[in-house]
Amino acid sequence: MRDEHIIEILDSGPIHSLSVEQRELVRLHSQTCGDCGGAYQAAMLANTVIKSRTQTVIEPSPFFQTRVLAALRERQVEENVPVLVRLWKSAGALVSSMAVATVALAALSFTVPTLGPTTEQTATAYSAESVLLDQGDDDQVTYEQVLSTIYEDDEAK
Amino acid sequence: MELAQLALAGDESAFGEIVRRYSPRVFSVASRFFRQRSSVEEAAQEVFLKAFTQLKSFEGRGSLEGWLTRIDTNTCLNMIRSAKRRVELSVSDLAEDENRWLDQQVADVGSESQHSVEQTLIAADLADRVLNVLAPEDQLALLMIDGEDASIKEVAEATGWSESNVKVRAFRARKKVREAMEKLLKPRIGGAVRNER
Repeated sequence: MRDEHIIEILDSGPIHSLSVEQRELVRLHSQTCGDCGGAYQAAMLANTVIKSRTQTVIEPSPFFQTRVLAALRERQVEENVPVLVRLWKSAGALVSSMAVATVALAALSFTVPTLGPTTEQTATAYSAESVLLDQGDDDQVTYEQVLSTIYEDDEAK
Repeated sequence: MELAQLALAGDESAFGEIVRRYSPRVFSVASRFFRQRSSVEEAAQEVFLKAFTQLKSFEGRGSLEGWLTRIDTNTCLNMIRSAKRRVELSVSDLAEDENRWLDQQVADVGSESQHSVEQTLIAADLADRVLNVLAPEDQLALLMIDGEDASIKEVAEATGWSESNVKVRAFRARKKVREAMEKLLKPRIGGAVRNER
């Protein structure tokens, strides 16, 4: 219970702002209680690092004022541009590429039908009759050739 | 007030004068949150751009400096909220020089040693790590009260929070930072005790 009280004192305010009585109480108790001693040391170190952290302050550069005024002008110019132009600036590339794609697709859809007759010619070349009955003249074997081939085999045996 | 009115009327040189006059203060506030010049400058620029667009809302009841400080604090808090923060800190997260610094502090316990510039920078790095376990608002309360000796009232004015809110935040932050530091010191104190034996 007493330990809790001392840790509460440590967290109640900045360690350097503790009253003389509070410091004495913490110091005496820390000598006999290991846990509170550790908490006291940690609180002291935490205060040291936080003080170190606030010692570094960054100063503005001599050009800062110019930079802010330039940024302000830029922002004002942006705000004065009409909405449609701003929209075009942000989505122009996308819209352009979509338009190009549409034109390309349209062009393709008009040019593809001209290939039709070629397909028909191919169909004529391979007529249904020649495919089904295989009666084309190119690779036809005559009846005599078949007979002579059979008899040649028998004679060989 | 006069400068603010002129700037509101579109006088660019009056606004330039506001930037020149108050930028040290705006940079000082932003330095509580960031340690890199680029981040501080980015925040400060955003503060002045916001101030310019919101000049109408500045009614001259308080000081222009106080009004800018409020904008500055909120801008930096918003910027820092988007950064990822750690939930816990362990010894393995520390850099070598930070570990050495802590070892030295444990060894020099009780002595009021003066720190060199380098030592102060290492301590500040360590502070950043420890503060990273806190919510940005709690960090701010602790840095202002424990680091800059600001009063509860001053923090409340700078942030717009109630005084009791500031007290709660500072207490909670102090406790968390002490506990994080205790965790970092524990193996060292244990080691020291073992060495003594």
